[in-house]
Amino acid sequence: MGSDAVVFPENIPEGLKPPAILVGEVNAGGLDDQVHSHLYRRPPKAWFIAFAITSTFMLTGFGCIGYTFWLGIGAWGNNIPVGWAFDIINFVFWIGIGHAGTLISAILLLFRARWRNAISRFSEAMTIFAVICAVIFPLIHVGRPWLAFFLFPYPNQRALWPNFRSPLIWDVFAVNTYFAVSLLFWYLGLMPDMASLRDRTLGKVRKVIYSVLALGWRGAASHWQHYERAYLIIAGLATGLVLSVHSVVSFDFAVSLVPGWHMTIFPPYFVAGAIFAGFAMVVLALVVVRTTMNLKNLITDYHLEVMNKVILTCACLMGYSYLLEAFTAWYSMNSYIHHTFMQYIGGTYWWAGWTTITCNILIPQLLWFRRFRRSYTGMVFVAIAVTVGMWFERFVIIVSSLHQDFLPSSWHIYKPTIVDFGILFGTFGLFFTLVLLFARVLPVIATTEMKMILPGSQPLHKGGSHE
Amino acid sequence: MNSGSVLGIFDSAELLVNAIPRVKAKAQGRLEAYTPYPIEGIDKLLGLRKSPIGGMVLIMGVIGAISTILFELWTSGIDYPLTTAGKPHLSWEAFIPIMFEVTVLFATFTAGLGMLLLLNRLPMFRDPMLSAKSMPLITRDKFALAVEFSGSDLDVDSITKLFQQAGAGQVEVIAKPAPVGAVSPNFFAGLFATIAVSCVIAGLLMYWAIKLFPVSPPISHMLVQPRLNSQRADGFFKNGFGMRLPVAGTVRRGAVSYSITSQENAAGLVNPYPRTNEILNQGRRTYNTYCSVCHGILGDGHPMLTAAYGAKPANLVSQQMIDLRDGEVYHVIRMGRNAMPSYTADLAENERWATVHYIRTLQRAMNARDDDIK
Amino acid sequence: MNKQTDKRLAATAALGLIGIIAAGLVFGWSRFWANWILWFLFLLTIGLGSLFIVALEHVVGARWSIPLRRVPERLSSLAVLMGPAALLALFSLHFLYPWTKPENLQNPVMAGKAVWLNERFFIWRVIGCVVLWAIAYWVFVSGSVRQDRDHNPSFNLRARRLAPLFMVVFGITITIVAFDWISSLEPEWYSDIFGVYIFAGTFLAGLAATTLTVLYLKSKGRLPEIKPDHIYNLGGFLFAFTVFWSYIGFAQYLLMWYANLPEEVLWYKERLQGAWGPLLLVLAIFHFLVPFFLLIPREAKSNPKFLFWTAAFILFSHWLDLYWMIFPVLGHGMHLGWPELSFGFFSIGGVLLWIRHSMSRGADMPVGDPFLREGLGFRL
Repeated sequence: MGSDAVVFPENIPEGLKPPAILVGEVNAGGLDDQVHSHLYRRPPKAWFIAFAITSTFMLTGFGCIGYTFWLGIGAWGNNIPVGWAFDIINFVFWIGIGHAGTLISAILLLFRARWRNAISRFSEAMTIFAVICAVIFPLIHVGRPWLAFFLFPYPNQRALWPNFRSPLIWDVFAVNTYFAVSLLFWYLGLMPDMASLRDRTLGKVRKVIYSVLALGWRGAASHWQHYERAYLIIAGLATGLVLSVHSVVSFDFAVSLVPGWHMTIFPPYFVAGAIFAGFAMVVLALVVVRTTMNLKNLITDYHLEVMNKVILTCACLMGYSYLLEAFTAWYSMNSYIHHTFMQYIGGTYWWAGWTTITCNILIPQLLWFRRFRRSYTGMVFVAIAVTVGMWFERFVIIVSSLHQDFLPSSWHIYKPTIVDFGILFGTFGLFFTLVLLFARVLPVIATTEMKMILPGSQPLHKGGSHE
Repeated sequence: MNSGSVLGIFDSAELLVNAIPRVKAKAQGRLEAYTPYPIEGIDKLLGLRKSPIGGMVLIMGVIGAISTILFELWTSGIDYPLTTAGKPHLSWEAFIPIMFEVTVLFATFTAGLGMLLLLNRLPMFRDPMLSAKSMPLITRDKFALAVEFSGSDLDVDSITKLFQQAGAGQVEVIAKPAPVGAVSPNFFAGLFATIAVSCVIAGLLMYWAIKLFPVSPPISHMLVQPRLNSQRADGFFKNGFGMRLPVAGTVRRGAVSYSITSQENAAGLVNPYPRTNEILNQGRRTYNTYCSVCHGILGDGHPMLTAAYGAKPANLVSQQMIDLRDGEVYHVIRMGRNAMPSYTADLAENERWATVHYIRTLQRAMNARDDDIK
Repeated sequence: MNKQTDKRLAATAALGLIGIIAAGLVFGWSRFWANWILWFLFLLTIGLGSLFIVALEHVVGARWSIPLRRVPERLSSLAVLMGPAALLALFSLHFLYPWTKPENLQNPVMAGKAVWLNERFFIWRVIGCVVLWAIAYWVFVSGSVRQDRDHNPSFNLRARRLAPLFMVVFGITITIVAFDWISSLEPEWYSDIFGVYIFAGTFLAGLAATTLTVLYLKSKGRLPEIKPDHIYNLGGFLFAFTVFWSYIGFAQYLLMWYANLPEEVLWYKERLQGAWGPLLLVLAIFHFLVPFFLLIPREAKSNPKFLFWTAAFILFSHWLDLYWMIFPVLGHGMHLGWPELSFGFFSIGGVLLWIRHSMSRGADMPVGDPFLREGLGFRL
């Protein structure tokens, strides 16, 4: 990975020059010092204020969950025919946020996109936190969470097995696998950094913790060889996994006969949407992290620009899906699908439908312009719009499709309760609390991976390029 | 010091890479490099064998895939055939997603844990390298090349010189203690002791937890929700019944019109159904469901409900009942008698006649004669 | 340039031509046109897939594929070559496509769809697509060839700016191809993933054809600078998109199988009857399982000979996929005989002749690209 030795012809115009993924002079030792420094510093006042806010939200959310346990699902606004609402909306929303992390850490690794090394650790952490937020919802929406172990196949007195033909069981397997694999992948990436921290920390307790977490890693070439191979294989497997997880989530809806749910495009469309929302969240977090933690030389404008390009690509894929959804609503000549689609854009929840289209399709088109891809205001505006839009997209799919079922006598307008909102904002609190803690106790940049792409780091690759 | 290794510390990856062939040519003993990050191609320079991890992952992945789909087919199609969504029991299509997930799970953990535990023998906190003075440099930005020696087959000074010629900034010699297995007998003893102690503590904790805290299902709102129980009295309806009675004049589907008004006039009716095994079984089912509640499972008028009921239901196996004609019994089932309601709405024509046959069987069985035994 | 081979190819194509005309006269024109559509779509998807590879390189700014780029650039001329073939294929409408028959307008579903599925609009869509592809070919391929001579890097700038736009155009036109030429063989059927399914097949076909050509040229010593690392990447992409095709194909099948709606399963019902059912199984094995397991080992992806045959196999599976989708519309069992073979001779012979001819002109690599050197230095 040593593009330093490449000699470019003289006449390359400005717009074609390879972008800088590092700013200024960066060396391996300085990198460690820079990234690890905030682990030893008392965090700034702003950190405490942020932590107070997020943990308040988090505790409110836990309170609402406790209230739900005490009272039952009646605490929420769900009622027939809208038997699924905020619980599944939030589940799909959060699991989708997680997908960006896997995309960055695994898929971009396979494509050898070197810029991913600076942001992989952070986005993988966001994956794990997002999946934690996501699994709360299926757990509490089963109504009797203390019986959730019924979902696993184990020999039991009832001589029963889970219904393996149910997509909800597929979900259990998909999400658990996803969490386990993400955690393993994250930990493997973290291990060499832990060794580095172990050898540098001065605190006794910290030293013990870092030593245990580093598992005695000593950077032997024979270890690195297996490590690299395993890491690459796991990345390949995680790529398949990330496609499958959101596809399985989409099967929850798409195998049914509900008009608006039963669409064959759902699997790839959900995956694109997940990456879309996830990237928006990563952009939002990175904008804050790189300014408050002085990481502008490692996470450069170029990183943000590339991520904005991914967001734009996803927005176009989403647009394609919406277009086909509309086309099929007509082309199928199926009056139920047609009715449901008209409900999306002109029914009770028309505002949700149009929020979705505006935030997911129209606003991200701003990113065609370089000016918006490079300005904080522009990208934060788009990222917030995408986050809101993707939440509303799931709202439209779930609530709009359900609230008018085949039997007009049971049509019902869904209204969320305050507990619904409490839990939603509670998971945002949980997510950002975990992010803040992570930024406090672990290196937010994978220094080992960064060292790999420093100039001169791979002497056996003279004159080569990896892109 | 008769075994250990000599470390040459280099400032850059390039120096390390250049030094490897030179040291390799002159020094005996195994070569090992220690670097802060993986250097691509260094494994070939050091002459390391290819990592077997790909094959391990493939094998475990295939095992995961096959065992999962077989497990799903067995549980859903053979051990407990469950019919859902009108799909065949062995519907492999629906089993693919879980098969995929478990395959990935097996494969990833084979890659991750196989790499750590089997190939790299980690965790390992006792390696002498970890306490080397140069370790903190290696995990930061320096690169080390180590020549391992055992016995006295190595001249430390000449290696040191070799390293210095190759551009090493420092040279460190570390002693290797007598080799210790990754898991010693002591380790196993400690492990078993820990498990045993944990079990005892967990058992005691569980005992006290159950003793001190009342154990109850956490939330029972869904169990105690208000509802009407069909066999209970309930104030919700005016007549105090929990169960709704059919509207007057309700008939069962496929009902045959019936104009006979008195029991005597019905005496002439003949049971149109033959007395086959099948019909009698049908009669037994109907009787046990509808009649036995009051008349008793044997027809002798001793049911569980008697005490709660004002009047005593008729004893169906008495001589008086034996003397009734089939048509009369049928009429009573059809129209009811005294406190007994009409079963027009509940039973089909064939069920009523089958019940008549079954009552006859009960009467014969309950009035057995001695010569029946012969 | 070997004249002998040229002559042989020309003879094959001529033999095929005689065969197809004879087939039309013997077996009737429905089968003739079904063959026409099949081979037209097979070559079109190769051409479009290659064009997509070229544009993708410009979009993501990939360097490793620059030395290989001339191959997909040459192959994408098939997309333009298929323009006249598409216009000729319009004659097949009355033979194969039920929605062109006036009596089917009694059917309310088909009558409702007549706004989209009517001949005039269909022809305009075909022309529109052909024109758009020709423009894209002119921008990306002709521009690149021109750069060989003038070494002007402004081409890279222009291509980078226009490639994202082409992606949008490509997404829409490939969906139109899928819905018009294939899906409308069963006009009552609909599946909104179908465009993605055809895209997956198209990209894979383009990749497989590119790999085949690169490895063929290399075996003739014409691309000596291409290293195993480049070939490994091609193998990796083949592997990834084999899996992607299977994922999309399975998702569509699973959802339709599960919901079991009459208007959806009619597609599979037609294509699972008789010999078509086993053919679907063969397709699953050929298009997914075999290439999947063949391409797993690291060595397999960089072994030129091995990869050559695997790519050929994938290309054959792609043909089988199209065959499985198009031919059931003829009814009366499976048609596979000398007419199909004649079409194969004609198409493959003619196309190889065309590709050989276009490969013989100009450089084998985009020698004017300022990043060629960087691409040549690519290592894993």
